[in-house]
Amino acid sequence: MIKVTENQQSAQFQLSAEGTAKVKSELTRYEDKMSAIIPALYIAQNENRGYISESVIKHLSQIMDIPESRINEVFKFYTMFNQKPVGRYHVQVCGTLSCHINGAPDLIDHLCKELKVKKDQITEDGKYTVSRVECLGSCGTAPMMQVNEVYYENLTKESAMNILRGLK
Amino acid sequence: MAKCTINGKEVEVKDGTTIIQAMSGEKQDWQHGKVAHYCWHPGLSVAGVCRLCMVEIEGNPRVQIACNTVVTEGMKINNTSEKVKDAAKWGLDFHLINHPLDCPICDQAGECGLQDQYMEFGKYTPEMSEKKVKKHKVVDLGPTVVLDSERCILCSRCVRFTEEVSKTNELGIFNRGDHSEIGTHAGMELNNKYSLNTVDICPVGALTSKDFRFKQRVWYLKDAETVCNGCSTGCNVKVYFNKEGMFRVKPVFNKDVNSYWMCDDGRDIYKFVNKESRLLKAKKKTTGGNWEEMFPGAAAKELSSTVKAAGDGLALVVTGQYTNEEYEALFTNLKTKKVFHWVNSPEKHNDFDGLLIRGDKNPNTKGLQAVMQKHGITPGNWADLVAGLQSGNIKTLIVAAPEIAAVYPDIKHRVSEFEKAHNLVWLSSTKSVEVDLLTGNIWQIPMKSFVEKDGTFVNHGGLAQKFKKATTVVSEALNLGEAALLMSGAQIMVKPETSPFVETARPADRVTLENRKKNEFVFKRGTL
Amino acid sequence: METKLLSEFYHIDEYRGLAGYKAKGGYDVLAKALKMAPQAIIDEVKASGLRGRGGAGFSTGTKWSFLPKNNEPRYLLCNADEGEPGTFKDRMMMERAPHQLIEGMIISAFAIGSKKSYIYVRGEYFYAIGVLRKALEEAYAAGLLGKNILGSGFDHDMDVYSGAGAYICGEETGMISSLEGLKGQPKLKPPFPAVQGYLRKPTIVNNVETLAAVIPIIRDGAAAYKKFGTEKSTGTKFFSLSGNVNKPGNYEVPLGYSLKDMIFKLGGGLKPGRKLKAVIPGGSSAPVLTAEEAERATLDYECMAQMGTMLGSGAIIVIDDANCMVDCLGNLTHFYHHESCGQCTPCREGTGWLDKIVHSILSGKGRLADIDLLVKVADNMKGRTICALSDAAALPVLSFVQKFRPEFEYFVREGRSQVTGKTKEAVHGEMHH
Repeated sequence: MIKVTENQQSAQFQLSAEGTAKVKSELTRYEDKMSAIIPALYIAQNENRGYISESVIKHLSQIMDIPESRINEVFKFYTMFNQKPVGRYHVQVCGTLSCHINGAPDLIDHLCKELKVKKDQITEDGKYTVSRVECLGSCGTAPMMQVNEVYYENLTKESAMNILRGLK
Repeated sequence: MAKCTINGKEVEVKDGTTIIQAMSGEKQDWQHGKVAHYCWHPGLSVAGVCRLCMVEIEGNPRVQIACNTVVTEGMKINNTSEKVKDAAKWGLDFHLINHPLDCPICDQAGECGLQDQYMEFGKYTPEMSEKKVKKHKVVDLGPTVVLDSERCILCSRCVRFTEEVSKTNELGIFNRGDHSEIGTHAGMELNNKYSLNTVDICPVGALTSKDFRFKQRVWYLKDAETVCNGCSTGCNVKVYFNKEGMFRVKPVFNKDVNSYWMCDDGRDIYKFVNKESRLLKAKKKTTGGNWEEMFPGAAAKELSSTVKAAGDGLALVVTGQYTNEEYEALFTNLKTKKVFHWVNSPEKHNDFDGLLIRGDKNPNTKGLQAVMQKHGITPGNWADLVAGLQSGNIKTLIVAAPEIAAVYPDIKHRVSEFEKAHNLVWLSSTKSVEVDLLTGNIWQIPMKSFVEKDGTFVNHGGLAQKFKKATTVVSEALNLGEAALLMSGAQIMVKPETSPFVETARPADRVTLENRKKNEFVFKRGTL
Repeated sequence: METKLLSEFYHIDEYRGLAGYKAKGGYDVLAKALKMAPQAIIDEVKASGLRGRGGAGFSTGTKWSFLPKNNEPRYLLCNADEGEPGTFKDRMMMERAPHQLIEGMIISAFAIGSKKSYIYVRGEYFYAIGVLRKALEEAYAAGLLGKNILGSGFDHDMDVYSGAGAYICGEETGMISSLEGLKGQPKLKPPFPAVQGYLRKPTIVNNVETLAAVIPIIRDGAAAYKKFGTEKSTGTKFFSLSGNVNKPGNYEVPLGYSLKDMIFKLGGGLKPGRKLKAVIPGGSSAPVLTAEEAERATLDYECMAQMGTMLGSGAIIVIDDANCMVDCLGNLTHFYHHESCGQCTPCREGTGWLDKIVHSILSGKGRLADIDLLVKVADNMKGRTICALSDAAALPVLSFVQKFRPEFEYFVREGRSQVTGKTKEAVHGEMHH
């Protein structure tokens, strides 16, 4: 994941009415309301250009009545919560051993070159971010990538680019 | 109860005691063998993360941590075998591989857990030759604490403190793995009334006190135990001082009074002891004249005739900031029925924040009340005092003024009332801007501060705590008893005290707050 | 030959839905189990010799019997965090047969007296989570969950909880911490989860495959289950085969199956012109085997232990001779460095140190002393931490250096890989997060 810089500009974040309702229902869904932090972060991330800012944490802390430090700890612990904005399509290519020995490094380099973007940055049109991630549990269909919520497996350089170009 | 053997000695402990508790003992004197540890603290929950407190238990092939293992009957424990020493050495090694070589500029030097353990394990050569992890340095955590993340060993004591003791939840450990850092979220300040305890419990120089930062090397400091005079809780504390004055205050464990902690207000009490706050010499002023300095003993002696002449017109105003022994001597030697108890903010006296801070900002209100009762003295109404001063019924007023004037918000008003006395004797350890401005017949006599005398304070709960003198800062100051004796006409000799630890001859303006302020600088949130 | 004890109907799409599952005998075993005494179920599972299929291989029935025999509420947690590199069997099971897992869980919950269970699924498995949620809805609608299941008087509620990307949440107490809304950091043991787990209540954590395996055990009896496998490693197991083989995938075989057959028969062997170089038999945390060792190994707990490695999650990673072992190790040390939760010092600092040393070698700047240093550091990371991630990071380092030392020495001396001739650009400060 991407290291955040200290001077990040972020406007005051507020969940939509629907998002707030979802978070509130998570608060009572589990035995302890702290368990609602992960679901709440997902909901907020989806409403905030795919990342979590300081303002998001403050807002969640208020509506959930949980100290900011506890929410921030959970946020910064997990890989799937982004500290910086990502492109509309977060292209996460697995780089762990089985994928590594099946051409993942070359695939990542190829994607970055074709999309004209460095790892973990956003393409100029705001569409893609390419990241190298750890094992995604799809070792038998290596190399593979996860784009937002969908797995694309058994890739070649060509098939991967075709998939990405085909995304609206 | 369970009997176990620690390093060959048989020890009996209560059920549920962990090995580290058994080894540290009730008094934390580690008489059964010292165990290196960072994350364990008797006043906090067990974390078991530093992995340094390794012990060997007979029958167990692996070394175990002492902080989370409960002693069972017949357990044979040792931490002197080669296996344990090696495990502890490597535990220390892992702590040091990313630790910056900041010792020359780090406040913790001399009382640092890493330094102590490193010296104990034989000063080996480090084998880490890769680049160390870089983290935030000089992070402004709040008004009192500075964080250096590179030095932090992530023992989590400070986080557990803000969760369990102060219950303010400012601190957390963010990020995973070796990029973990202590911090607050989004610039939130570590600003509760107990923040500085995190500096005490931090085993390394990651959390440092802004007030103490860069002021003294700890090996140049002597320390002495005493009782805090900030409020009626009476936390047990240790004061640190040397020739240049007093520098800091840290809590001492007392299971009945303050456990392991003290509040942030109490940290400042040393400032009222240092020369720049003190009334250094006795001063006398007569109507129409200027302040004239004199030796305190001489001043008090001179006053004896005034006191005698006052007869019934003598009144005493006392505050709850002196020791029992001083009150005894005061009431024994200056006999008058007109005694008034100057109480500050009485409406707040029963305030209690649930942890340590109480609204009665005097260490010995209860002691004063007890001594007055013993002498059959009923303190009068303040209105009578004002009336008496107005009418001239009260000719000579002796005020045993508070050491810490800041907690007497009404001081300006009261002093203007006292000005009406024909003769005003102001006994105080600290100098007073208000009294300096008064006109009339006024004497100011410097008193000893609480660290300069033996004594007893009785706290809010009636617990009498005896403390011994720590050092002398103002050598000519008298204690209240001596002043009372002299003013009553007793023929006693008062010699100025000497202290090897505080240079009394050094003029105060050489060591001033202004001078020290030069070492302070504005903290900006650290950047990588 | 595969033995499709669990996976018999995985190829049928409808099996994913309640109707299709029931058509193949689904939930019949639940009906049978609900008429048994809970203790009888525990005894049957114990007798079957079923061992945890997630990695630790601990006897499932024995783990269940650690629960206190009182009325204290207890939880069943299904560990679907599947993060061990090389492993992808639980994903298949959840995506193809969610009801199999649910049925296995209800039976297990009934046996241990649990009224609430959670399936903790790793956050990346969005599809599997969706499939499970739908299956749960169907189960509730059919009275298979909720109050008075199938009229038995047994109440049970089940929910799915999504992780958010952390390998350490596959550790049972790490998972419990995560479920409690804390960082997924493992807890000190003792107390063990069976005594004090989720929210300090007795908790059983079992792998997806373990819970599904309860179904054939109760359906056909322990004796029938023991007919598969070896004496100490009974039953069948899914092995996730990946790496440089022609037919990677999940294969269900009886334990004791030949590793050579797995690679060359079921796995279709290696690419033309390539030779077998190394095999990691049980997920990246298992010590690596040389080709010679791999060809005489059988896939059961005893043989693996005897050969100084472990069966683990059953993830078999096949490495052929086109690969540089130093590079492969660098890939793994990077993984553990990224995934260490950071709680205890030996692991937090040690995983970083190991990663830096290996990458130093990979960038051509290694020193000869580094190879022994790797061994020393890894040795001192074992057995000294709160959880086994530290050991998991140390074991690959120790086994790679021990078995492929000449490659490491070549890299240090020549400054490049003996196999590929390449040097990896040292990227300092590159880190994730």
